[in-house]
Amino acid sequence: MLSRVRGKWSYLAIAALLLFLVIIPFKWFLGQYTVILIFIGIHTMVTVGLCLLMGYTGQISLGQAAFYGLGAYFSAVLTKTHGFNPWLAMLVAALATGGFAYAIGFPIFRLRGNYLALATLGLGIIMAVLFRELDQFTGGPTGITGIPYLSIGGFTFDSPFRRYFLVWFFCLAVLLVSQNIVRSRTGRALRAVHGSESAAESVGINVAQFKVKVFVLSAVYASLAGSLYAHHITYVNPSPFGFLFSVMVVVMAVVGGLASVWGAIFGAATVRILSDEILLRFGEWDVIVYGLILVLVMVFMPRGLFVALKEAYERWRLTHRQRGAEA
Amino acid sequence: MSGPILETRGVTKAFGGLVAVDNVDVGIEAGRVTAVIGPNGAGKTTLFNLITGVYPVSSGEIRFDGVPLDNMPPHKRAALGIARTFQNVLLFGNMTVLENVMSGQHPRSRYGFLEAALRLPKSRREEETITLNAIKYLNLVGLGLYAQRDALSLPLGQQKLLAIARALATEPKLLLLDEPGAGLNRLEKQELGDLIRRIREMGITTVLVEHDMDLVMGIAEWVIVLDSGRKIAEGTASQVQRDKRVIAAYLGEEVE
Repeated sequence: MLSRVRGKWSYLAIAALLLFLVIIPFKWFLGQYTVILIFIGIHTMVTVGLCLLMGYTGQISLGQAAFYGLGAYFSAVLTKTHGFNPWLAMLVAALATGGFAYAIGFPIFRLRGNYLALATLGLGIIMAVLFRELDQFTGGPTGITGIPYLSIGGFTFDSPFRRYFLVWFFCLAVLLVSQNIVRSRTGRALRAVHGSESAAESVGINVAQFKVKVFVLSAVYASLAGSLYAHHITYVNPSPFGFLFSVMVVVMAVVGGLASVWGAIFGAATVRILSDEILLRFGEWDVIVYGLILVLVMVFMPRGLFVALKEAYERWRLTHRQRGAEA
Repeated sequence: MSGPILETRGVTKAFGGLVAVDNVDVGIEAGRVTAVIGPNGAGKTTLFNLITGVYPVSSGEIRFDGVPLDNMPPHKRAALGIARTFQNVLLFGNMTVLENVMSGQHPRSRYGFLEAALRLPKSRREEETITLNAIKYLNLVGLGLYAQRDALSLPLGQQKLLAIARALATEPKLLLLDEPGAGLNRLEKQELGDLIRRIREMGITTVLVEHDMDLVMGIAEWVIVLDSGRKIAEGTASQVQRDKRVIAAYLGEEVE
């Protein structure tokens, strides 16, 4: 019963989303909104990975920017310096980033709670320093320019309008894959790890392995997003891949609802629009505003904006129906 | 019967200077309901944790179905057929009642990230089997009606039954129940006794740690008594009740 209702909800969400995705760019074809929507798509991909890791599996990461940056830099270096085909570069980037996450995953997930947060924070900071300092590969603070656009056959994604569809194709694929995982044996295992590690082990779940696997998956999502970013802006430098981005991803995940795959879009959209339209005025203080949003959402909407709105709507509908019955 | 399914030889566990389990030899006969009793701090739960691999043994050997367990991690022991419940229940609070039991099917299903991500036919087939089996175990413990409730919305008695259903869903050969009767009222304890008898009829060997002597005497065919980490007696319920050392250590003088 309940799962059928949930299924209906998600089909509704998908339908509404597709409508929204197709209509919006036509309406503001040349406007700034196409670019914002591209970024929302890219951020959503990173956020969904963190939702799986944090919301479902209960493992925090404050270093997702590292994987996002790795994806972007791998794509930039491989296409620009080594002349790789951009699609191949994207694939190699995802595999390499995933491999890197796998290698560091086993030692990192010996840690829990605050220690895990610190280790992933350290990972993010180290990677940010490497992006800046390994200038023979990364071009240092100035970065790498002239990254080619992606293309299929003779069709090049050389306008924001075209890239909008490219990015959202990837974003929806990632969301769909994530939803499938959440509703599977694997998804239950991840939630079991969150619920109780001892009990998860007692029903045959290899806790350490599942933590590392979901970490790798989140890294691959972030890497794909980073590659898309590189081929969208055609330029990479260290600043978008620093600590602030990792914090933004956490805020997006929390605002959208940690244990909600589709909520990631809402989280990414809300935070991105806020940061573009309003938080710019706070300059360097914006990280404090992010912190404030994080605290307020955790206190008043612990399951995220998406779930809070959905519940508010359901309550409204319920009272509405009751009134109808009385009259 | 068919011989011991689980054997411990000289099993010892020391936490620093405290020896929680001290040179314990037990043999759990297959197909039987065995109770492990003893006063608080006797090492009963520690023994369970050693059998399930939560802690490594300090010395000694545990063999399950003839296989030495050595340093095998808990999830592999679950796959071999050792299931357990916990004193503090430890349900998955972020799941429904049904999903808790479905999680128990983990070692009896195979499909992983890739099949799940792409919803390949294998994942759908297995998911169907997992769901049907989970419903079967849920009905066995009498919680079929509550399948879609949140696990933690159930009262304690039903939560404990749910934990047993989750453990049964791993399709174990050996089921370890850690204080299944604690916190239950008289009626619930009767139902628990009936359930354990039904589990026995399914051919599953059951070991329970329990303080409620009525429950123990009603269902246990063999009783092992621990005190301060040592095994001080074993036998049928009535033999153990008459054992002087047991009376002194545990049951108290007034039992006589």
